[in-house]
Amino acid sequence: MVVYEPDETLAHCLDPRSKLAFQFGFAFTALAHTTPSALVALTALTAVVLVSARVALGRTLYAYRIPIVVLAVGPLLAALTLGAPWVEPAAAVDPAFASYRVLLILLVSAAYVRSTPVRDSRAAIQRTVPGRAGRLLATGVALVFRFLPVITADLRTIREAMAARLGDERSALERAGTIGLLGLSRAFERADRLSLALQARCFSWNPTLPHLAFTRLDAPVLALAVVLVASAAV
Amino acid sequence: METEGQSVDLVGASVVRPFARAAILAALMGATALVAIPYPLSPAPVTLQILVVFLVGLYLGPYWGGFSMVLYLTAGAAGAPIFSHGNAGVGYLFAETGGFLWSFPLAVVLVGLFVHGTHGLRDPGEVSLPVIAVALTCAMVLMYAAGTAYYAWLIGIGLVEAAFVMAIPFVPADLLKMAAAVAIVRAGVIDPT
Repeated sequence: MVVYEPDETLAHCLDPRSKLAFQFGFAFTALAHTTPSALVALTALTAVVLVSARVALGRTLYAYRIPIVVLAVGPLLAALTLGAPWVEPAAAVDPAFASYRVLLILLVSAAYVRSTPVRDSRAAIQRTVPGRAGRLLATGVALVFRFLPVITADLRTIREAMAARLGDERSALERAGTIGLLGLSRAFERADRLSLALQARCFSWNPTLPHLAFTRLDAPVLALAVVLVASAAV
Repeated sequence: METEGQSVDLVGASVVRPFARAAILAALMGATALVAIPYPLSPAPVTLQILVVFLVGLYLGPYWGGFSMVLYLTAGAAGAPIFSHGNAGVGYLFAETGGFLWSFPLAVVLVGLFVHGTHGLRDPGEVSLPVIAVALTCAMVLMYAAGTAYYAWLIGIGLVEAAFVMAIPFVPADLLKMAAAVAIVRAGVIDPT
């Protein structure tokens, strides 16, 4: 699993908004180009990004093993034919290039995840999305981070309780229904307590945001993001 | 020392309650992504996420339900490990399951509109079974169509080949989740109002 890790890399020093802009620019241009020369350039850029965030490549590829398998199945299916010669490797080349660019997009986003703490992402969202929608979105993101371990523990408790009562020998429908019903009931109970707590703590539309500022380091990253978005249209 | 004074603009109770529910259900959606169930018809294990998509539409309605799914996508893009198999990042929105992810808010809005309409929430337990069945079926078709079409476009393969990877193996499991959603509604234990 790729998660945030405190460090002092170049990527850790950048403003989250410029890192987000770069990621979208990279994804747009990667989705627009699948030629070998474009893939070589994108691979080189990905390598720079991974080094700048000190991403452990082996561990990250292992974390992405299931998407990689699903991405590999597409080209394999494209190579199969319903008749002689049954397998046509040439038909898999373009899908394989297309799959590879998706892996590059995933690796670039891993660099963001490793180098950006939640509160920076939250502040970036709130400063980028205008008005009350931005306020709710940013607070909501922070709450999802906060409650994810709690809700995960709730689900684990439900599954363990089911297993202790031989619930895991029941039909799949019954198990899914029980997990869904109990999971939703507990989630609603937590949500109602949270809403009370938010009101008790004066949840407001105009909170004090953490400090966020572009530095000189962000200028080339932002410029590159603009170039990448523009190159997607070429 | 410099000080700054400003009045506090409190968020009203009519917003806080559904907002808290939307945020917690977005977290529930993420938590179910971590519960991987091995599935013999696909190399990728299945999760209960589709069941949560149905439940969010049924119990939060079109507006807050749609917001909850936007929140789920935003939190995942911001680094919360809530996309399938505990992964995160903007890249996932454009990866092989991107079509499914982008369709979640639309599917929830669709279910919400069928069940609740455009004016407020009602108890889905009081809605007729055919309406719920049609709502969930339309949502499932929408998710499969988006997921398959996006994968076909992304990898550059035919729709039929893409359907064999992204849709057909998962239909039995998702029909079961649909039945589970109906059973939860029929149990009548949860009141969304």
